[in-house]
Amino acid sequence: MRRVLFVTALAALVVPGSAWAHATLRSTTPPFGHELQLTPHRVAFHFDQIVKVLPGGIEVLNDKGVNFAGTATVNGQNMSAPVKKLPAGAYTVRWRAISADSHVVSGVWTFGVRVPAPAVNDAYGAGGPTAQEDVVRWVWFLSIALAIGTLAFRLICLRGVAVPQALDRKLAVTAGAGVVVALQAGIAAFSLRAEDALQLPFGRFLYGDLSPMAATRFGYAFVVMTLGYAVVLALIYLAWLVDRQTFLYPALVLALVLVSGFSLSGHDAVDQGSSWLSELADWVHIGAASLWIGGLVAMVGVAWRGAPQLRGIAFRRFSELATVSIVLVLAAGIYLSFVRLPHFHDLWTVGYGQVLLVKIGLVCAALAWGGVHKFFVARVLERGASEGVMARVGRSLAGEMLVGVAVLLVAAILVDSRPPAQPAKTPAAAALGR
Amino acid sequence: MEPPAEMIHWLFAMLLLVLGLCLLSEAIVGREVWQARPWRKYLWPGLAFGMGIVMWPVMTFFTNSAIHMYAHGSWAEVLMLAGGAELGLVRGRLKSRWWRLTMPLAFVVTGTAFIVHEQNAWYFARSAFLHHLLGWTFLVAAVIPLGMTFRPRSMTLQSAFALTFVVLAAMLFCDRDLAPVFGHLSPLAGVPHR
Repeated sequence: MRRVLFVTALAALVVPGSAWAHATLRSTTPPFGHELQLTPHRVAFHFDQIVKVLPGGIEVLNDKGVNFAGTATVNGQNMSAPVKKLPAGAYTVRWRAISADSHVVSGVWTFGVRVPAPAVNDAYGAGGPTAQEDVVRWVWFLSIALAIGTLAFRLICLRGVAVPQALDRKLAVTAGAGVVVALQAGIAAFSLRAEDALQLPFGRFLYGDLSPMAATRFGYAFVVMTLGYAVVLALIYLAWLVDRQTFLYPALVLALVLVSGFSLSGHDAVDQGSSWLSELADWVHIGAASLWIGGLVAMVGVAWRGAPQLRGIAFRRFSELATVSIVLVLAAGIYLSFVRLPHFHDLWTVGYGQVLLVKIGLVCAALAWGGVHKFFVARVLERGASEGVMARVGRSLAGEMLVGVAVLLVAAILVDSRPPAQPAKTPAAAALGR
Repeated sequence: MEPPAEMIHWLFAMLLLVLGLCLLSEAIVGREVWQARPWRKYLWPGLAFGMGIVMWPVMTFFTNSAIHMYAHGSWAEVLMLAGGAELGLVRGRLKSRWWRLTMPLAFVVTGTAFIVHEQNAWYFARSAFLHHLLGWTFLVAAVIPLGMTFRPRSMTLQSAFALTFVVLAAMLFCDRDLAPVFGHLSPLAGVPHR
């Protein structure tokens, strides 16, 4: 009875009534991302509090930047502008207003007239991915690979081994740090994507409405990955706190499943020729690469110096894990290359193909290096090696690791590049395809 | 459908209130009596850590402005950090008392985020007034957990720390956008919600 009363009291404290807080755009006409058959007479916005209009507060721009909107007017919580007759095409709406709390709030969204609406990050004025975005995405890949690889290394390569407490702690810190950096990189990537769409200086971007961006595939992936990796972080922390590795299993599974966010929000989700199979292949590709490169970082960066007595067993077991991962990386990667590049010569004639060629070169270098470790170094270690040999092996593994890190950088650039268009099917080919 | 934002304020106000009452109980009855049942020592640090996890959905679902997203994100991180450090200390996994500095750090980050994300000085609007009051309260009250790093057994500091959370909870319960403050509401602030 006392527990029931306690829970009731808590619920009463949370729900004393209802009211709204911060100024928010509640609805628009036409809605975000809709394809219309007729020209709308007006573009209208409904906010949750009173707003004031600014000169040129609403713009309706076609793909050449011509503005079709008239003078914006405001009526309490509603702001609108008349629209001239729109030819068929994609349109970008840019708006700004002064909210009741004095902030200038801004936003952007898209719609189409007799054509599908473009994604909000393809709005008129958006410049597309920059080098800054490539670097952030690389850090995102790298940090997630670090978290996944470290968890897999602890659970698979050190399974059933008496792991010193200090090493356990270092591995937990490494995996946790990977997740923390991944969370920051996710926020930075989402902000950069939104900033590009909004095209606002930083001061005004801070009050920019990001909700249209949150409603894109990239936005959904950002939300799910952020929430999921926060749970992964909590599980890693709990495993360390109560000294139970059991918590690490759901953390590893969840972290691997969440990598699919990259696949579901990248090219594989939207480009021509994409299918559930290509999305699955992309997920396997990224997940297996994370296990390989992240596991290598954990072994070289943490375990090699942290527990010299475990080097032999760690090396042997990681070698097996890496072999499986590499097979998966190669199988999925070859399939994806065929899907994304319609012609073999695209590899050197198209920008996307050239970046892919660099990636293939780096992967080959990493594979050759890994092969030397698997087929020659492993035998040396089995026979027993001196401390000097061990140190040299550690440096050699670090070299392989750096090539793997470079592979992830090129992968980040590749994800932000657009593959060449697929050739149109002839009627005969289409009929055969059916 | 996302819940009205004020509900989130009240949810966190309730959690802060429970946290403050736990700390107050511990300060009144003494640490030995409070920790007679072992689970109680994990209660408030676990609550702080849990609040950090719950703050992540707030960050991701309230993207109506970038600055709110950053503020909620920073609160999620410092709550997990401070709660996690305290959990590690009571569990015995962390030994250094310097980990207690994560709590004043959390206060400073939280206070700064409150002030920065509510830039306007419209004190006649209750939300703006309370955001500034909350921010400055957090900043000034950061000296209390800072003092507890060096004098963890001080009864005065323990009580002040507990009451800080109770006061902050009361402020957060009062938070709403366009209600009058001191009986005055400027017409510029728009229409009161109720």
